Amino acid sequence: MHLAWGEEEERFRAELGAFLDAHAPAEAIGRGMEPETHGGIPLWAREWQATLFDHGWLIPSYPPELGGRNATDVQTLVYFEELAARGIPRALHFPGHAIVAPSLLEFGTDAQRELVPAAIRGDTVWCIGMSEPGAGSDLAAMRTRATLDGDHFVVNGQKVWTSYAMWSQMCMLYVRTGDTDSKARGISVLILDMTTPGIDIRPLRQSAGGTDFAEVFFTDVVVPKENLIGEMNDGWRVTMGSLAHERAGLWLEWTGALDHVFRRTVDEARRVGALEDEVVRYRLMALYEEVGGLRALGYKGFASYEKSGAAPEHALLKLATSELRKRIAQLTNEIAPSPENRREVLGTFAGTIGGGTSEIQRNAIARVLGLPRGY
Amino acid sequence: MDFTLSPDQELLRDTGRALVREHCPASLVRAYAEDPSVADDLTARLSEFAGLVAGPAVDLCLFLEEMGAALVPGPFVPTVAAFAPIVAAVGANDVFESVAAGEATGTVWSPSPVELHAPAGDRVEFVAIAVEGGDICVTDQFELAPLEVFDLSRPQFDAKVFDAKVFDAKVTGDSGTIGHGSYAALYRATVAFSAELIGTTRWMFETTLEYVKTREQFGRPIGSFQALQHRLADMSLLYERAWSSVYWAAMAIDADDDEQHRAVHVAKSSASEAARHIAGEAVQMHGGIGVTWDHDLHLYMRRAFMSEEVLGTTAWHRARLADLVLQEGGQHE
Repeated sequence: MHLAWGEEEERFRAELGAFLDAHAPAEAIGRGMEPETHGGIPLWAREWQATLFDHGWLIPSYPPELGGRNATDVQTLVYFEELAARGIPRALHFPGHAIVAPSLLEFGTDAQRELVPAAIRGDTVWCIGMSEPGAGSDLAAMRTRATLDGDHFVVNGQKVWTSYAMWSQMCMLYVRTGDTDSKARGISVLILDMTTPGIDIRPLRQSAGGTDFAEVFFTDVVVPKENLIGEMNDGWRVTMGSLAHERAGLWLEWTGALDHVFRRTVDEARRVGALEDEVVRYRLMALYEEVGGLRALGYKGFASYEKSGAAPEHALLKLATSELRKRIAQLTNEIAPSPENRREVLGTFAGTIGGGTSEIQRNAIARVLGLPRGY
Repeated sequence: MDFTLSPDQELLRDTGRALVREHCPASLVRAYAEDPSVADDLTARLSEFAGLVAGPAVDLCLFLEEMGAALVPGPFVPTVAAFAPIVAAVGANDVFESVAAGEATGTVWSPSPVELHAPAGDRVEFVAIAVEGGDICVTDQFELAPLEVFDLSRPQFDAKVFDAKVFDAKVTGDSGTIGHGSYAALYRATVAFSAELIGTTRWMFETTLEYVKTREQFGRPIGSFQALQHRLADMSLLYERAWSSVYWAAMAIDADDDEQHRAVHVAKSSASEAARHIAGEAVQMHGGIGVTWDHDLHLYMRRAFMSEEVLGTTAWHRARLADLVLQEGGQHE
């Protein structure tokens, strides 16, 4: 156990620092890691993602042709540390590089894997068609059906909460191909071109005012048979795989995001002259302790991930960081009420719902604790 | 930041765990309240590990975590956690070397805001006593007045100097008067007690976890009910976060990193919060048996509550932390 990284890691950090000094756009520096875009992926963010890819700094652990530099796990951690310290996001849409790419690399055919570089670089924007009106936390209840008809599937049904759907060229679509009651055993995954006829995208306006996700309706949408990812009716394995990728990739960005929003809370308290108030100080420090403790817990999770390839800490971190994010926003507006801070509170609620609700995370933690199946 | 335990550290932890499993059963902890000499054999065995006082804080913490999980009574923990770093800070080198060699025991008496009431004072050779003006006396000539016993396995005392060699060093008093060298002593003592507290909390959490898996009501284990599962998940989170904070602080001390000042306050405060919450939930999930004298839970709660109070309350640590984090000019990282 030790605090400091070795010389090699610090060389890696210095190299990254020099690159960021030279290339990071002004819009990215200090922006924070949160992905909300409020109405489209800005051009600077698209260009920044491509620049990172071209210099091997987008996903450092990948080889150069996939936007990386074959970095070690520890180097990847240093990479996230440095980005978080500077409040610089990698990209403002994550499905392509964080879910689609690892899923296709693991389960895709040779032809499908050719889609990966553009998915990572952000040249192709992807969305993930997963949740449905009747299948939220109970994902295995999904009903959007794909029927095989010769050399193609015909898709009918509806998805919802589909992030980035209105700006996406491609979709990784989860469909039912088994019997109606086949649950997790009858799900398959398709690659869908979003310009295919029969797709109706209806953006959903969020309570905070932005529009980051949509309902997507499918009416007799034709998908070539070769767009099936993995085996027929074996999509649950891909689902679990892609969820795992999301969790493994995002936790350091979550704790980095908390550092950033906590700093902003302190600045807001200073702005309204509340920093000398004993109650404010006490409550700020309670949050500071949580942020610091979760960062430390993240490192502990990384140590167990490196050792065993699994880190139960990830469910704890998803739960804790999203719940804490809400409380930080609420305290900020309590100390320094403002239109912006009020909107910010509204904007934090989705964090404990998307990507697995807090309740689903607690169920997962209960499994890790060895508790019997719940009632 | 590397949380990976080295093979030596794993061995140290496992050795400590095995030692207390064999030589510190709950029956010994209970018997100690009536006759503290029952722990003399345990204290002698543990003295072989007194050399940890001269090593990294992380190693000391790993060992003390195991002591806390078994509620080790007697002078060993106060000696290595608090007395040793204080005598090192005031330059009492002969005493420090005796302690490190496992040949001497000691405890500490210091007043609010970082109070310690000579824990296990009745079983030690030396006491480090904070006197008027913030000086520290390390003495074997002292007088004790027992305080009301709450932690049955760790009695506390008011201590007074009989005849003392006064060392010119400031350890306690107003926060503004603490010298740099003594700060380090307090940090190390605070993180050491926090590590012990984490071990005590771990026992309460793990014992509760086992209980809800076996206790049946309505024809099934109560641990299968989501109402309890989600609370256990939150307990797990608090425990894991506190554990990580304590070892983060220990690593910062070992690296003499600027972060140590903030990290120690976070460690103590987080360990206390986790202990308090998990103790309450542990009792509730045990039901009636949890409020009996016969169940060991109250022994652990008593230790946990006292550990929260020593070396600075949560309110004090948060106030100090705020001073460090919220300095003017945005220097809060």
